[in-house]
Amino acid sequence: MTSARDTAQPDEYTLADLMTVAAAREVRDHEVVFAGTGMPMISIMLAQKTHAPNLKLIFEAGTLDGRPRELPTSVGDPRCEVGASVASGLYEAFSIAQRGYVDLGFLGGAEVDEYGNVNTTSIGDYLNPLLRLTGSGGNPDINSFSQRTVYIMVHEKRRFPKHVSYITSPGWRVKKWPSGEWVHRRELYGSAFRGGPSAVISTAGVFRFDEETGRMYLETCHPGKTPEEIRELCEFDLDISRVIGETLAPTHEEIRLIHEVLDPEEIFLPRPKKRGSAG
Amino acid sequence: MTDRSKQITLSEAAEIIKDGTILSFSGFTIWRRPCALVYELIRQKRRHLHLIEVNSGPHSEFLIGAGCVDVWESCWIGHELYGKYGANLARKVRQKEIVYEDYSHAEMAFRFQAAASGMPFMATQTSLGTDIHNPEYDMLARAGLRNGKNPKIPRKKYEFVDDPFFGDGRQTLVPAAKVDVSVLAVQQVGEEGTVRIAGQFFTDPEVCRAADITIVVAEEIVPEDYLRRESHLNKIPSFQVDYVVEGPWGAHPTGMFGFYDVDGEFLRNFYMQTRSQEGFNEFAKEWIFGLNHDGYLNKLGVPRLARLKANTALHYSTRVERGKK
Repeated sequence: MTSARDTAQPDEYTLADLMTVAAAREVRDHEVVFAGTGMPMISIMLAQKTHAPNLKLIFEAGTLDGRPRELPTSVGDPRCEVGASVASGLYEAFSIAQRGYVDLGFLGGAEVDEYGNVNTTSIGDYLNPLLRLTGSGGNPDINSFSQRTVYIMVHEKRRFPKHVSYITSPGWRVKKWPSGEWVHRRELYGSAFRGGPSAVISTAGVFRFDEETGRMYLETCHPGKTPEEIRELCEFDLDISRVIGETLAPTHEEIRLIHEVLDPEEIFLPRPKKRGSAG
Repeated sequence: MTDRSKQITLSEAAEIIKDGTILSFSGFTIWRRPCALVYELIRQKRRHLHLIEVNSGPHSEFLIGAGCVDVWESCWIGHELYGKYGANLARKVRQKEIVYEDYSHAEMAFRFQAAASGMPFMATQTSLGTDIHNPEYDMLARAGLRNGKNPKIPRKKYEFVDDPFFGDGRQTLVPAAKVDVSVLAVQQVGEEGTVRIAGQFFTDPEVCRAADITIVVAEEIVPEDYLRRESHLNKIPSFQVDYVVEGPWGAHPTGMFGFYDVDGEFLRNFYMQTRSQEGFNEFAKEWIFGLNHDGYLNKLGVPRLARLKANTALHYSTRVERGKK
């Protein structure tokens, strides 16, 4: 798919470019993809312009099968609707997702635990929080309804804790209420089970989940990182026994598409600094 | 026959919303929020509001910062890329000055669909296994608000049932989102109340029908005949709308499909400035108190509004500065 001579050198791309491209590679052609705001949108539009020209894009605010000409700054943006199949509303978007049309969701989070439970609600005790964040938005819905969910996250040790402060979005082992006992997601969701988090793409590496144990493992390290270093960046005991190598670097064409076609205004992704430039 | 009796002013519209009202809004995050009317509520010093929203945004940050809100019930608050969370809600949560209740986004959309259809609840399979369903985190119950005194507040946050029809396992029943007053910001309304929404309509039809009273603030009041020539483009029938207000640029700093873009610079400054209460008070003094809507637009100035103005072919502005380039 990618010839070696196309691959860019580390000083030709940013870490955000690497993550965007890694996320784009999670998309398969003809899939229905549910996009959040920001980097996920660029990843999906990149996939649309490279290996997945037939993907169908759903925006949470109601745009179905969108083909934006310009990068929307959020899913409510009129830029979502240009060239779309239908511009509708949230009830339509979420009903379609619950009905089972969505293959892949792209999301972010503030914290993720070993089982892929994600927090976007608050840090510290929910009843007495240190910091209130945005709240769930559609994170748990897109994740619950999709077959696969990809998370894009900043990697800091405190963001990969043993337990997240608040489970906003369900991972592979979740709490069964009212008792709160931990059970496998498949057991709780029953016939509504479709899958779960399939990858976490952090600023350090790409992680996947063992669907039986529900545990996260490291798959690839971003260039310059070692598995041991990345394990040290998690508060839980990260499985590093299944590493297959380094995260594939972007190609020159992917970098061109990101910075010249998809986000030329540098709304979400600043351009890499030119080789030899000061600062 | 036309019915001009529905037409009122912004300040009259704000007077309809009393202290303690359960209030909801049109729009989605930073798009089509009725900010001009929200500013008027703040000028009139409305108190004890209970906001119930599919999702929230700058309009509620204004109300919360100004101390108008006792209860915030939704799933999300922030300014998208112009401010990463709702700093005013975050401050009031930390200081225990507000009751917050978290549902998921789909749950909120389904709650409004239930209320809009006269159903007491809807069933969904979303968010199972999350802390949204942690029984310790029923915040309205903790605040003693689920005692039946207000008939619009459900007795429980949610209920689990096993599907009795198909044996498809655990379902969550989420209660109807019953609303006293909904305020919509839209492009066009007819003299009799027919609403035409251009672009994504978000949850506006449901938000309208979930409420006892609906107030529509439109960029333009247009002849009903004009809207009725192409009724397939209309989203809300005349009789579901109680009051109409003409308020051009009435959603600024949020965006209006086909009319103007989001004023990102305004939102970014608001987010940065209002991370403290003192900062919010300064913002309110500069942009809300002592101004009416005309004064606000005058202060923004023609060049700024012209930059935001949408291209008529594309429905968004091609002149607005969005990123670093």
